[in-house]
Amino acid sequence: MAKVLMKGNEAIALAAIKGGVDAFYGYPITPQNEVPEYLSKHLLANGKVFLQSESEVSAINMVYGAAGAGARVMTSSSSPGIALKQEGISYIAAAELPCLIVSVMRGGPGLGGIQPSQADYYQATRGGGNGDYSLIVYAPETIQEMVDTIKESFDIADYYRNPVMVLVDGLIGQMMESVDFDKPVKERFLPEKDWATTGTANHPGRRNVANSLEIDPVALEQKNIRLQEKYKLIKKNETRYEMVNFEEEPEYVIVAYGTMARICRSAIEMLAKDGINVGMIRPISILPFPDEAFDEIPKKAKGILCAELSMGQMLDDVLISNNGRHKVGFFGRSGGMVPDPEEIVDAIKNFSERVVK
Amino acid sequence: MMKKVTFLTGYYGSGKTEVAINLAIQKKIDTIVDLDVINPYFRTREMEAVLKENDIETISSEMESKMHLDMPYISKKIYNPLYNEKTKVIYDLGGNDQGAKLMRQFDDYKDIDYDLLVVVNVFRPETDHEDEIMKLINRIEGMSGFKVTGLINNSNLLKDTSLEDIMQGQRIVEKVSKKMNLPIHYTSYWNEINDTGFNVSNEILKLKLYFRKNWF
Repeated sequence: MAKVLMKGNEAIALAAIKGGVDAFYGYPITPQNEVPEYLSKHLLANGKVFLQSESEVSAINMVYGAAGAGARVMTSSSSPGIALKQEGISYIAAAELPCLIVSVMRGGPGLGGIQPSQADYYQATRGGGNGDYSLIVYAPETIQEMVDTIKESFDIADYYRNPVMVLVDGLIGQMMESVDFDKPVKERFLPEKDWATTGTANHPGRRNVANSLEIDPVALEQKNIRLQEKYKLIKKNETRYEMVNFEEEPEYVIVAYGTMARICRSAIEMLAKDGINVGMIRPISILPFPDEAFDEIPKKAKGILCAELSMGQMLDDVLISNNGRHKVGFFGRSGGMVPDPEEIVDAIKNFSERVVK
Repeated sequence: MMKKVTFLTGYYGSGKTEVAINLAIQKKIDTIVDLDVINPYFRTREMEAVLKENDIETISSEMESKMHLDMPYISKKIYNPLYNEKTKVIYDLGGNDQGAKLMRQFDDYKDIDYDLLVVVNVFRPETDHEDEIMKLINRIEGMSGFKVTGLINNSNLLKDTSLEDIMQGQRIVEKVSKKMNLPIHYTSYWNEINDTGFNVSNEILKLKLYFRKNWF
């Protein structure tokens, strides 16, 4: 298959099929509806499972069940829909089951609007679910990167037995771009799913149970310690980021992901023409967050500008990673408003007005 | 020469709206009607200001905050251009046969001087072969109740498009044209593509990409 022109949401769906998805459960919501629409046609045609459930809550619990049975399974939704799924996500993480959750963000809070936003950074990285659990969250910048990430995310989820979230905003879901679906995926050794609830034929006398309940506090604490060790391993192995324009020491550094990173790339080019050299740290995984990237910021740099399509959420991680070393400023738009690169140029030129800490 | 009424249809994501806006501006159309009830983003109504600068009226939904509503409301004003003899109008439909379904409301206007043009991009995976395109045309005709009268080759990979890509589309669209006896009205492509020496036997429509910013 050569390059084709795909809408972001269709590309999510086809990438999931290429990644070997067995089953999709979901409930419609704008701006991600093309994902279930595409899968309803193409999954069923290939003998796989597509199910539009009666609510987001049932969809995520169907994911829980199918993941427990060892299937490659996914759901997708947008901001308020992902909010409804939080309980199930915590249960899946607790039961250590692999799945893919695609979140196509729109403006919030509440029902909000249908235009693009990045205001679910907290929701994705801090979680609305209970307990000390952690997802693996990727926030790609282009449709190509999103396709490559989704294809690989099923392997990553299986390898660590942990839910993976791919987080994009509505613009990436709705925009069109040329994309190649056949780029190879990194090979991983994936053990047999001997924990799956598929009967006792392979282990007579021993039942497999997928469960998140652990009444004994000693055992529950041990489980939490083990989970933290797993998350540490994930941080070591799966943290991803891109350093943009760091060849010569940048005067300022922007931190931005997804659509905002695209806008900042244009701004960086415009600033270069004005003689201001600006670099960018682009987190690809926002959980684990690439804090080691901040060690590469030159000591002489005048400041770090965190830019988001929200009122300041990733800003927390930027402040933690910066650890007081540089001045940190913030630029944000929200509610579905997408800035032009000129606004970022202006924020860098008037950095002192942007400083928060 | 554009007819009084031009309906633009095609596969979902084939570039109908960019073609519609460019046609309206370049061919001095009076009114553009946004009948897209499928897409939540990138709709004609978002370009109302640009169109107004060019003295083109935009008719879409009359609902408040129409710009960002994802509900299929349509204004009753969409019939107005049909009652003014001098008004030239483009109806920009939503994608696929589902989008063309909205033409059923024009059942009583079939004797009007119209073109129903199908916009084709062969790099959209479901219209990458002449057989698929012909099936889509048949479905559009069945759903709309109108005869398709022509084709537009809008084959592109957006900013990655080469002249050879356009020609690849042209060859496929020419096959459809021959088999269904439908003329190709335009071959359309981005106006920043270097097209020195490029030639096709039908008219070329160079597109300014109104929805694309420099960062995507």
